[in-house]
Amino acid sequence: MKTFERFFRLSAMAATATIAVNAYAADPIKIGVAVGLSGANSVVAPAVVQSSQLAVDEINAAGGILGRKVELEIVDDASGAVGAQKAFDTLVFQKKVNAIIAMETSAARNAALPVVSKGKVPFIYTSFYEGRSCNNSMYVNGWVPEQQVAPVVDYFSKNKNAKTFFLVGSDYAFGRGMLDFTRKYIEQKGGKVVGEEYLPIDGSDWTSVVSKIRSAKPDALISATAGGAPNVSLAKQLKGAGMTTPYGNLAIDEGTAKTMGEVANGLYVSASYLTSIDTPENKKFMAAMTKKFGADLKTPNELSEPQYEAFYLYKAAVEKAGSTDSVKVIPTLGGVSFNGPRGNVQMNKSRHTPLSMRLGQVQADGSIQILETFANVDPGEQCPNIK
Amino acid sequence: MVLLLDLLTTAAMLFVVTAGLMMIFGVMKIVNFAHGALLTLGGYASYVTTQLKLDPWLSWPLALIAGVMVGMVVEWLIVKPLYKRPLDAILATWGLGIVIGQLIVMGFGREVQFVDSPLSGTWSIAGVDYSAYRLLLVPVAVALCLLLTGLLNGTRFGIRTRAVIMNEALASGLGIHSGWVRFVTFSLGAGLGTLAGTMITPLSSVDPNMGMPWLVSAFMLVMVSGHSMPSLMLTCVVFGACQVLVSTYASPVLGGLTIAVLAAVTLRIRPKGFAHG
Repeated sequence: MKTFERFFRLSAMAATATIAVNAYAADPIKIGVAVGLSGANSVVAPAVVQSSQLAVDEINAAGGILGRKVELEIVDDASGAVGAQKAFDTLVFQKKVNAIIAMETSAARNAALPVVSKGKVPFIYTSFYEGRSCNNSMYVNGWVPEQQVAPVVDYFSKNKNAKTFFLVGSDYAFGRGMLDFTRKYIEQKGGKVVGEEYLPIDGSDWTSVVSKIRSAKPDALISATAGGAPNVSLAKQLKGAGMTTPYGNLAIDEGTAKTMGEVANGLYVSASYLTSIDTPENKKFMAAMTKKFGADLKTPNELSEPQYEAFYLYKAAVEKAGSTDSVKVIPTLGGVSFNGPRGNVQMNKSRHTPLSMRLGQVQADGSIQILETFANVDPGEQCPNIK
Repeated sequence: MVLLLDLLTTAAMLFVVTAGLMMIFGVMKIVNFAHGALLTLGGYASYVTTQLKLDPWLSWPLALIAGVMVGMVVEWLIVKPLYKRPLDAILATWGLGIVIGQLIVMGFGREVQFVDSPLSGTWSIAGVDYSAYRLLLVPVAVALCLLLTGLLNGTRFGIRTRAVIMNEALASGLGIHSGWVRFVTFSLGAGLGTLAGTMITPLSSVDPNMGMPWLVSAFMLVMVSGHSMPSLMLTCVVFGACQVLVSTYASPVLGGLTIAVLAAVTLRIRPKGFAHG
């Protein structure tokens, strides 16, 4: 009996070893992630790294891609344009990655795109942004203004009967770009913008802006500030001034809303991903994240969840193309879909992704309650010249 | 009315933030680039108070004590050998600011922190509902100004301090322990810096860089106002008023530049400063 057991165990071990050798016989597929481990993005970077790790672990546990193991190459981009260029250079020419999946600031993305073009590496950009960035090697699975602004404006017009809007932003590409679009959208829908104010990107004294909002008496307020400090100081000063105007924030993530506590209570946010999405896919994702990272878990957010999805989209594209050859994979990326925490996503709309957008409201305990889901919001013709 | 309140509360806020720098830079002539980091430290004193579930008002004395203690250590370890080498002191305090900032990141992380506000809601003044906390800052700033003026002009300590600053050799010859006077003044200045950091938390976010945006304005204001507290108050009122007016009637983006531009112009016309010092 003993010998039999021993024999059985040995042969089982041998079998596992053989499978492993077969499965990972070929070179691993390397996927590069450039992320701001230092600098301004370092607040969100840990969540992005965690969701990348989960995706890679899951894919490897299920046998990898085309039987090849997936390897993660994480490089710091210092949250800026210079760092991103260097990071992409390292990934493409030194580490020779098969694909890059990364969130970047707009300036950093623009700086890195020439590297991607030169290396002809498929690049999935996972951050929301101001739109209209086009490159033959790039696909985008985050939202653009066409998708994010509409739910807020429509909800305020319909449910709060808002006709006049006041817009507040930080003075940089994202703030100006978002609010330009918001203004156009409001006017197109017959609303009126009664004020539009900006503060320098590191500004934190909103005194005069708050007073202007007070005297303009808008039906609703919409802001697109830089993330973090300006967002928090604006919300604090609005609350301090006793403002009760419905307030939609286009630039806040769930984690920040949570740390703002009472100050964020009642705030409206529009997002493609919120942790409270009530689908089996999201529950599974959240459970897997919690299991893998336990107490170290960083709240998954609008930047980290698309990162997770992008790995599966790349996997599907490689499997459909039958190889990791960029020439075959890049055209295929738009044709595959993945049913993930945000629902079914496919990057098929001129390199961008129709997304289900959620309008949520921050509750007293910091959680975000989803008030309305806008299914399959179209990103519009972002890159009409790219096939 | 709202405009007037905006003016007054902005001036009060500027004064509170600048007072600590005034003690160190204005009075002691040490260019203290660590002032921004001291403000941040004060913000985290509030954070610790919130974490310990203490009354938010306790964050004020707590920040003051923490700041004075940090000031004592810093003076003794870093600043003491550098009184005669002002350029080296600039580098040393600049580096110190970075070190404090990084220690905060290591201790508390980079993210924005939640802090309880000691006073929330609005008060009604002449028919206008205005942020209660901002209004509170006005008497606080005035009291602080009177207290510090009294300390510098009306006490033996103040006289000794000024004697040491004006002519250290002579002061020492008269039996004043100049090292001790500098030690106390620096620590007090640092304590005022952290106290200010705590006081602005209800209006600003608490993160490792929260003090930085205030640093440049604070330096400008102190440079322009010389070394007396009342002239600093006057400068804060005038420059703060200009900032609010430009922000209101032109644009807040230009408003952010107002203090720096005005200070440069003032120093060009009157190198001795805005208020007679």
